[in-house]
Amino acid sequence: MLSNSCVTKPVSAPAAEPSAAAALASGLLGREVNFPAGLLGFPDCQRFEFSHFEAGDGVSSPFFVLHSRDRELSFLVIHPDWVTLDYCLPLSAEGLDGLGVRCEQQVMPLLIVTVRERIEDITVNLQGPLAIGIDSGIGVQLVVEEYPLRFPLIVK
Amino acid sequence: MLILSRRVGESITIGDDIVVTVVAVGSNQIRLGIEAPRQVRVLRQEIVQAIKDENHAAANAADCTRRFGDVVKQLRDKAGERTSS
Repeated sequence: MLSNSCVTKPVSAPAAEPSAAAALASGLLGREVNFPAGLLGFPDCQRFEFSHFEAGDGVSSPFFVLHSRDRELSFLVIHPDWVTLDYCLPLSAEGLDGLGVRCEQQVMPLLIVTVRERIEDITVNLQGPLAIGIDSGIGVQLVVEEYPLRFPLIVK
Repeated sequence: MLILSRRVGESITIGDDIVVTVVAVGSNQIRLGIEAPRQVRVLRQEIVQAIKDENHAAANAADCTRRFGDVVKQLRDKAGERTSS
C-alpha cells in the first residue's frame, strides 16, 4: 500500500529545463524496457531497447529510440519538456505500482514522434504518452483524452 | 456479437466486477454508467483506435535520420527562447 503523498497529484514535467530529461534518460540508456501490455496496436511488442538517437551530423539530439526486440520496428521518442511546458501524466497510485515505482519522480514520460516528410508536419502524440519506471524498466502507454493526438513538434 | 436490449436504469454485468448501466437515452446517443475496478481501463473506442493508427504511422523511426540535424537545431532554438523569456 502506497502512502507517499506524491502519488496523489499528476506527474508534472520539470519546468523549462529540458536537461532534466537527459538526467532521467541516463538511468535507462542501453537497458531493456518492458511493456507488459505492448503498445496500443502492437500488443506483441513488449521488449524494447532504449537508446539515444544520433542525429548523424555530430549534433547531440534530444531524441531517443525504442527499438523493438520482438519485431523489426522502432519508435522515435522525446521528453515532453522539449515540446510543451505544461504537460502532465495522469498516474494513479495503482499506475505507479504497475510501473514498479514509488513516486512520480521515478517515471520517465516520453512522447512518440510521428516523422513526416516536411519538418513542419512532424508531430508528437500527446494523447498516447509512454511512462517508464526508471529503476524497474517497466513501461506502459497511457491514454490521456484531453491532449491532442498530433501536436506539432516545431511550433512556428 | 452478443446483443441485449436494456431500458434506462437497467444494467449488464461483465465478468465478476464490471457493471454497465444505461443512464439516459437521447435521440441519437445514450449515456452509460460504468463501474469497474480501478485497474481496468475504460476508454472511448475511437480514441484507442486513433492512437493505434498513430503508433503504426510512427513505427518507422529507423528511416527518419534525414534532416534531423535541422530538426534538433530548431528545437534547441525554441527551448532557448522559452527559457530566456
